[in-house]
Amino acid sequence: MAKPPTRSLDINQQFGPHLAYAEGIRLDRGVEADRQVKTHCCFCGQQCGIQLRVKDNEVIGFEPWEEFPFNRGMLCPKGVKRYLQGAHPDRLTTALQRDSTASGGFRSMPYDAAIRHAAEAIGRIQSDHGHEAFAVLSGASLTTEKTYLMGKFARVCLRTPFIDYNGRLCMVSAGAANKKSFGIDRAANPWSDILGAEVVWISGANVAECAPITTNYVWQAREQGAKIIVVDPRITPLARTCDLFLPVKPGRDVALFNGILHLMIEHDWLDHSFIEQHTVGFEPLAESVQSWTPARTAEATGIAERLIRQAAEWWGTASTSFLMHARGIEHHSHGVQNVLGAINIVLASGRIGRESCGYATITGQANGQGGREHGQKCDQLPGARDLANPEHRAHVAKVWGVSPEDLPQPGIDAYEIFRKIDRGEIRGLLSICFNPLVSLPDNNFVARMLDKLDFYVAIDFFLNDTAHHADIVLPGSLHEEDEGTVTQIEGRVIKINQAVDPPGDARQDWRIIQDLAAALGRPHGFTFQNPRAIFDELRQASKGGIADYSGITWEKIEKQHGVCWPCPSENHPGTPRLFEPGSHNPIANGSGPFYFPDGKARFNVAEYTPPTEEVDGDYPVILTTGRVVSHFLSGTQTRRIGPLVDQYPEPRIEIHPQLAARISIADGDWTTVTSRRGEVTLRAQVVKTIRPDTVFIPYHWAGAKSANRLTIAAQDPISKIPEYKVCAVRLSKASAAPQDAERFEIE
Amino acid sequence: MAAERLLDQRGNSPRPRYTLVAILSGCAATAIVAGLIVVGSRRLSHFDAALVGYTFATLFATFGIVYRYTMWLHRPPTAMYWKRGWQVFLRPQALPRNVVLWFKRLVSVFLANSFIWKRSVLRGAAHWLIMWGCLIASGITFPLVFGWIHFEFANDGFDDYTASVFGFPLFSFGIDSFLGYLIFHGLVWASFLVIAGVMLAMRRRMRSRDALVLQRFGEDFLPLILLFAVSVTGLMLVVSYEWLNGYAYEFLSITHAVTVIGTLLWLPFGKFFHLFQRPAQLGVLFYKDAGARGEQARCARCEEPFASSMHIEDLIEVERQLGYRYEMNGSFTDHYQRICPRCRRVSLAIAQGRLWTAPAAHRNPTDVTHG
Amino acid sequence: MPVPHDYLFFIDPNRCIGCESCVQACSECDTHKGHSMIHLEFMNRRESPQSVPVVCMHCDSPTCAEVCPADAIKRTEDGVVQTARKPRCIACNNCVLACPFGVPKMNTREELMMKCDMCYDRTSEGKRPMCATVCPSQALFFGTQAEIDRLRPRSRAINDFQFGQQKIHTKVRMMVPHDAAIAHIDVVDAMCADMGEDDPMLSAAVCSLPIVSKT
Repeated sequence: MAKPPTRSLDINQQFGPHLAYAEGIRLDRGVEADRQVKTHCCFCGQQCGIQLRVKDNEVIGFEPWEEFPFNRGMLCPKGVKRYLQGAHPDRLTTALQRDSTASGGFRSMPYDAAIRHAAEAIGRIQSDHGHEAFAVLSGASLTTEKTYLMGKFARVCLRTPFIDYNGRLCMVSAGAANKKSFGIDRAANPWSDILGAEVVWISGANVAECAPITTNYVWQAREQGAKIIVVDPRITPLARTCDLFLPVKPGRDVALFNGILHLMIEHDWLDHSFIEQHTVGFEPLAESVQSWTPARTAEATGIAERLIRQAAEWWGTASTSFLMHARGIEHHSHGVQNVLGAINIVLASGRIGRESCGYATITGQANGQGGREHGQKCDQLPGARDLANPEHRAHVAKVWGVSPEDLPQPGIDAYEIFRKIDRGEIRGLLSICFNPLVSLPDNNFVARMLDKLDFYVAIDFFLNDTAHHADIVLPGSLHEEDEGTVTQIEGRVIKINQAVDPPGDARQDWRIIQDLAAALGRPHGFTFQNPRAIFDELRQASKGGIADYSGITWEKIEKQHGVCWPCPSENHPGTPRLFEPGSHNPIANGSGPFYFPDGKARFNVAEYTPPTEEVDGDYPVILTTGRVVSHFLSGTQTRRIGPLVDQYPEPRIEIHPQLAARISIADGDWTTVTSRRGEVTLRAQVVKTIRPDTVFIPYHWAGAKSANRLTIAAQDPISKIPEYKVCAVRLSKASAAPQDAERFEIE
Repeated sequence: MAAERLLDQRGNSPRPRYTLVAILSGCAATAIVAGLIVVGSRRLSHFDAALVGYTFATLFATFGIVYRYTMWLHRPPTAMYWKRGWQVFLRPQALPRNVVLWFKRLVSVFLANSFIWKRSVLRGAAHWLIMWGCLIASGITFPLVFGWIHFEFANDGFDDYTASVFGFPLFSFGIDSFLGYLIFHGLVWASFLVIAGVMLAMRRRMRSRDALVLQRFGEDFLPLILLFAVSVTGLMLVVSYEWLNGYAYEFLSITHAVTVIGTLLWLPFGKFFHLFQRPAQLGVLFYKDAGARGEQARCARCEEPFASSMHIEDLIEVERQLGYRYEMNGSFTDHYQRICPRCRRVSLAIAQGRLWTAPAAHRNPTDVTHG
Repeated sequence: MPVPHDYLFFIDPNRCIGCESCVQACSECDTHKGHSMIHLEFMNRRESPQSVPVVCMHCDSPTCAEVCPADAIKRTEDGVVQTARKPRCIACNNCVLACPFGVPKMNTREELMMKCDMCYDRTSEGKRPMCATVCPSQALFFGTQAEIDRLRPRSRAINDFQFGQQKIHTKVRMMVPHDAAIAHIDVVDAMCADMGEDDPMLSAAVCSLPIVSKT
């Protein structure tokens, strides 16, 4: 039974987070780099091009890569300092085994012994309790090759249906709604279509901090005369100078979209011919929004009626537009409904599938797009194929050389895996590129579940907070230590290039998975010599699917600065803009632009339901969570990079002065936030840039500073995304600083 | 230079008068040094005529340095610091402490170069070696050349030397003693220090990318080359008479003289002049001490203290002398210098931001020349 | 190959999103590696997320250089006001206090003033300055006048600034609305604008404050 080491300060001293700064060779102005490797940033879904400067197997700095068309040299602070994650004192260079007598709770062990040990434990659990007693959690920051291999490993080698990935916390609401509406889950347009839009609508996306490069696209549109509409409970940096700011109450986006559609119908701001020719289901939808009068919309959304009318007019009368959204509308127990609402107003306007007429969700993780297409999602097979579809099963089984009957049926989402652990049905876990102890809601529960496992093996390059609970830790590879492809925010497949070799016993992740398969005695299908070989098999497995990569080669990626899927043949240039007449569409086959047999998009009634946890007398304040610009997700990397930590050292509670006054909290005061699930004590940041009924905490920190101690594990019934963006809390001034406040970050 | 140009442009340059003062100062200083040479060498009786070239180069350098120093002192900011530096140093109540501090700072700033070591160890080492090499060499050479120091056999024998300074016997030592060895080879040791320092400095200049893009030949390389040439030709002289029976001694001594004279002539112009400017750093430190003890200026916008009142008032005066017009008539304060740097940064952005938020019709303040 | 002479530096603080990419990237420049020369200021975070990146404006008649008692600050032929010459700078702080834009930084540990020199190390090799290259909002832009005219039709560049009675002309330009009938930006004019007024943006939020007990 796995148990965390009791001395958490001890483990932090041993494994970090320690802060890396430029020093030594990285600060020496006399050192010339041996070479510059063109690759991409390791963090968000925009995947900015960057050149890493390499000297003696160490990344010593960066140089902007101005030729790469998406970002043309632009980088956010994370991209600028990402090179400091290499040659880091916390880097795992050997396998680790839990040993409560060792300092830090782990002792080094030889890599081969660790693989053997892990394989034996997996074998034991599966022979005692069945294949289904072992689960795999993967991540969307891995290359597409690795995500493909993870799905194959779970289904073919482990033969368990229980694999899911951290895109469950990220992309699934948008993905599900896109499939329902368009039949395909991908940003409909390249970002260049933002530039010519007359109206840019941004809902629930803190573009400036979470997708900073997109800012320039939005500003460029504005320079050409675009009106910018931002919908957010906070005045984000982008919202500050937008043309229309709608300060929505968290969790009410679908009401806003329905209200906008109501006004579009009322004023006949509709593209009737588009609706008639290219869509189905408008009538029932129109009926459903009849009750969404501006007054009702205002009441539900907490936005003044005149602003709703203004937004509807701008949106309704525009001739070109681009609508973007992100986790702000997706992280809800009705996240899919929110997204459907957004898509409905796009379809009703008819402004999609043309130049400067666009719609997209802003992908969060590096490979948020590619990572959800090739089979590590619990219900999916490569090529965005469906695990429940017999034809799809047959195609992939053939490529994998197995019988379709041997493929497991669809599994369950990442959070449900923990519930299965609770019920004793899952007893062993392998995780890679996933830090659920920080990133899942109600993470006190997650911690208990990790301790309940019979065996837990984690693969990572740093000892992430979840891996503190592991029995065996295998040293994986950093982004710059491997090569492969990633599919970025626009659906553009790009190439990650290797800059340095993994240090010590660390291995490229795909090698570790293959070593495990071999040690389990089931190496068949896991004998790839390099990522290119994996990619070639992936191309075959995706051929004919919606996410068709079969025509993409590494050479073409390099030549074209990326290839947008679908790309069905080697002489096909790829598909930057979806839904254009004549563009590749294996489902409609010429009958229309959308990915249904009739080629028509679907209007879906978007139903409004309030958040699962409404505020009440005991918990009267809405808590919403999100990101800050200098950190990324669970902070495993960015909390180890000194300059990024200096920029935003500690999470703070953003709170409006009116609310702060009610509870006598001043800027900088230690404040305790309590929900039904837990509490955290952090310093307050009193700002007028947030709705007075809402507080905000960034979620990048672990332990006593983790916002997800508070959040609710309510999930969307369709996408299973957790409701990070709304829960009910109460606030009080803390009587004293939390214990170990001064040692909050161990240096 | 910049200030002078500015003053010229504004047509109120008092430059001609400064120039005259500087020329006179230079002449006076040159005369004093010449006089000291005559006196110190006991009416040239200890003066080595072979060294006359060095002497004249030194006299020229003296003129150049004093001329430039005087010009420099007349610049308004320099003059202000010069005046204030002495004022605050000599304040009766602070004088005893200042004298103690002066010695401490002399050691840490000048003798140890503490602030350069902080930039990097190699930089510190390079500068420290060159500086001490030059100090030692100058301390030996100038008095010898001027005849201020000379050595005579002591006690009517040939075993001991007596060193005389300005003609007064100071101490004696054995010719073959270790002390004698050290003294007679002083210039050798100095050369070693200089060469090592120049090597370190050259290494940085040739590999460090910040140096590579910014350095210029005259400003950065020439001084190093000169110092290197002086040291190497000096050492070759030693090699020649110690081990090669004076082989090519004449040629070498002329070469050495050329390098030394060149260096002396270059003193007032290039990088070497920082030797004479740098001591102002001490004045700055005392100025800061006095400022920190005195009243603090509060920013007229944010009301936070940001500098000493003395510093702000002095800057206002300096800016006025330089011809700047940062006065803010009819505003909330009388002079822009009373705004702290952060508020300056913020105010510009607010001003620009307001242009964007104001309705187009109202973006129309008084001064309209756009068209 | 240095960058062509017609490449200019433009600033539009109104675009700034406060991400500090410029600050982080500046410290990667070779001439001052490990030190950032850029100030990223938040005007008043309590009131707004407004921020501004401050790089040197490179004045034609640089006050910093004029008030330097040690003659340590030089302006190049092409108008770049350089960082202090190390052998000369005596860390007196005059430039820091006198610069009308508040640009120079004092490195007290090394007793040395440092300031933006428009990435001389990069521009001399034909590369754009680090900050303007990475800036995700392009609040900092480096390119030709023709480029910026094409990219930003609703803006125009201005490089005259008024501080009290003093007008300062700079090499670096600042973007203002194309239709703003002004010839210079009056910095003092906006100085005492009240930042404390209630933001009209959030006044559109319809909400009732939660009832919170103070216990």
